[in-house]
Amino acid sequence: MRAPPRLPAGLPLGLALLLAPAPASAQVRAVDLYAPRPFGYTIGDTIDLSAEIALDAPFLLDPAALPRPRALTYWLDLRDVRLDDEGVADGVQRYTLHLTYQTFYAPLEPKRLDLPALALTAVDGGRRIELAVPSWSFLMSPLREIVASAGGTTMALRPDMAPPLIATAGTRRHLMLALVGALLALLALAWHLGWGPFGRRRARPFARAARMVAAEIAAAPASPPAYGRALVALHRAFDATAGAGVLAEDLPGFFSAHPAFAPVEGEVRRLFAASRRLFFGEDPAAAARELAPEDVLALARRLRAVERGSA
Amino acid sequence: MRLVREPDSILSDWRARALRVESEIGKVVLGQARVIRLLTIATFARGHVLLEGDVGVGKTTLLRALARAIGGAFERIEGTIDLMPADLIYHAHLGEDGKPRIDPGPLLKQGEDLSVFFFNEINRARPQVHSLLLRLMAERSLSAFNREYHFPHVQVFADRNRVEREETFELPAAARDRFLMELQVAMPADDAARRSLVFDPRFHNVDTLLGEVAAGILEPEALETVARVIQIGITTSPALEAYVMALWEAVREPHAHGIHVDNVDMARLVQGGASPRGMSYLVRAARVRAWIENRDMVVPEDVRAVFPEVMAHRIFIDPVYEMRREALVGDLIAGVFARVPAP
Repeated sequence: MRAPPRLPAGLPLGLALLLAPAPASAQVRAVDLYAPRPFGYTIGDTIDLSAEIALDAPFLLDPAALPRPRALTYWLDLRDVRLDDEGVADGVQRYTLHLTYQTFYAPLEPKRLDLPALALTAVDGGRRIELAVPSWSFLMSPLREIVASAGGTTMALRPDMAPPLIATAGTRRHLMLALVGALLALLALAWHLGWGPFGRRRARPFARAARMVAAEIAAAPASPPAYGRALVALHRAFDATAGAGVLAEDLPGFFSAHPAFAPVEGEVRRLFAASRRLFFGEDPAAAARELAPEDVLALARRLRAVERGSA
Repeated sequence: MRLVREPDSILSDWRARALRVESEIGKVVLGQARVIRLLTIATFARGHVLLEGDVGVGKTTLLRALARAIGGAFERIEGTIDLMPADLIYHAHLGEDGKPRIDPGPLLKQGEDLSVFFFNEINRARPQVHSLLLRLMAERSLSAFNREYHFPHVQVFADRNRVEREETFELPAAARDRFLMELQVAMPADDAARRSLVFDPRFHNVDTLLGEVAAGILEPEALETVARVIQIGITTSPALEAYVMALWEAVREPHAHGIHVDNVDMARLVQGGASPRGMSYLVRAARVRAWIENRDMVVPEDVRAVFPEVMAHRIFIDPVYEMRREALVGDLIAGVFARVPAP
């Protein structure tokens, strides 16, 4: 184990010097004041000043020491105080302090006025240092001459300013786009829910049934459950076309109400006979003899063609 | 026993007899083919029937013709406001020797072989009489002269007209539930039938007219057995059972099945009813109808053909809609059959 390196004899004194409270100027790097033009102000004008403050890193501005917006003198108001923290870089804490003053001084002739200096405080745990935003002076001008040279009443009210026109072309374009979008969305909704003219769009129950029958028969040509599902799909298509349940005894009424289906009457009767045997007689073999699965598919396609009006 | 050994030939033999009964009644009652068919179904389902209709449309003639065709002992009584249960059972009178006598009344006069009991104008009788009738219909028995009387073959037909409401008593729901069917007898729609009913002198005297009906085509003692053979011999498939269950569900919860009746709040229309007994009656009647149609299986058409008559009076609707009951329940049942898919 190595012994710790020996300290030079003069070090304790140097450390003590470093730790002793340093003069304030050592912690405040800079206070730079940025001001607008120093002339040409009239009564009621606002003056925006900003001050960039740089502190040595552990120091922070004490927010409690910031001035509050208030009337400073009978003619000067502090309207707004805003402190932006710019963060720490290279061991320097930077701030930007924005100050907005408003002057109500009414000079008779151009006159130099002073914005007073501001005292701020920075703290670092236990230590406090004072710093100051410097004062600034500007020239204020009167609004009117001392003795009126022109005739008429100098104090007459000026006419009101005409209201400025707001550019509306962009808003108008956005409104039109939004309206068109809303209309399209409404049309889509109406189509989806079958409102108005969309309600009359022809449902094609047999087209759907033909797809289902083809799927069932192709999946399992010889299985009674698939055959049964195929028949049920066709029954639902008949129900949807008639608008009510269609039983075998209702077929004469169905054909007189939908004469387009008359050419397939014989096959439809066989379909109903087969489904009666399958579902109520529980005799799948007899049902398949009455109407084979391939015939069901052929019939479904013929019914779809009739429904399309192309049979 | 022969009935059990050859059920198929028994069924086809009795089917011929049932069709003969229909044609015999059809000779004297014109334009009522549907009502006659339903009465035949009720007879072979061994169910009691309540007929409703206007005055003078032939309800009584129809029932007398049916009783004659069925054969066996027949009794009838007129409902009046002062009719008491004892009047049905006992006949109190003074004998020739001047002493008071108690003899068997209309119900007991024919003994226990009574096959058809016809209660005319049932809604004029008091609730006491209805409750006696309730027992007769449900248990086919009654107590009199300190003993039990059993009527194994009795079938009760009752009628009432809907025109008058004064001095009438509404049948209790329990009594109505025991009727297999409530049949509406309307005027014949056919113009030729109306014409001959009015102008043909044949129809002027009911007694001679009924003489044309062949008597005793069915044997009342055998009907019970035939009815049982029908119920066993006609099959119901699982698909049909599912269909009937779906119908039942739709009648009890029409709004849940998207059934709509004009100007009616469907959520409150049906208050209850459609009892399990009603559904079992429905299947019984549907089996008989399948048998008469010469099928050995029940199909949805059978259920639909008997549904209004068997079920309409068992559906209890909100009192607000009670006055329009017939139209609303008719629409409800039509909606149920339009919406419930078969198979």
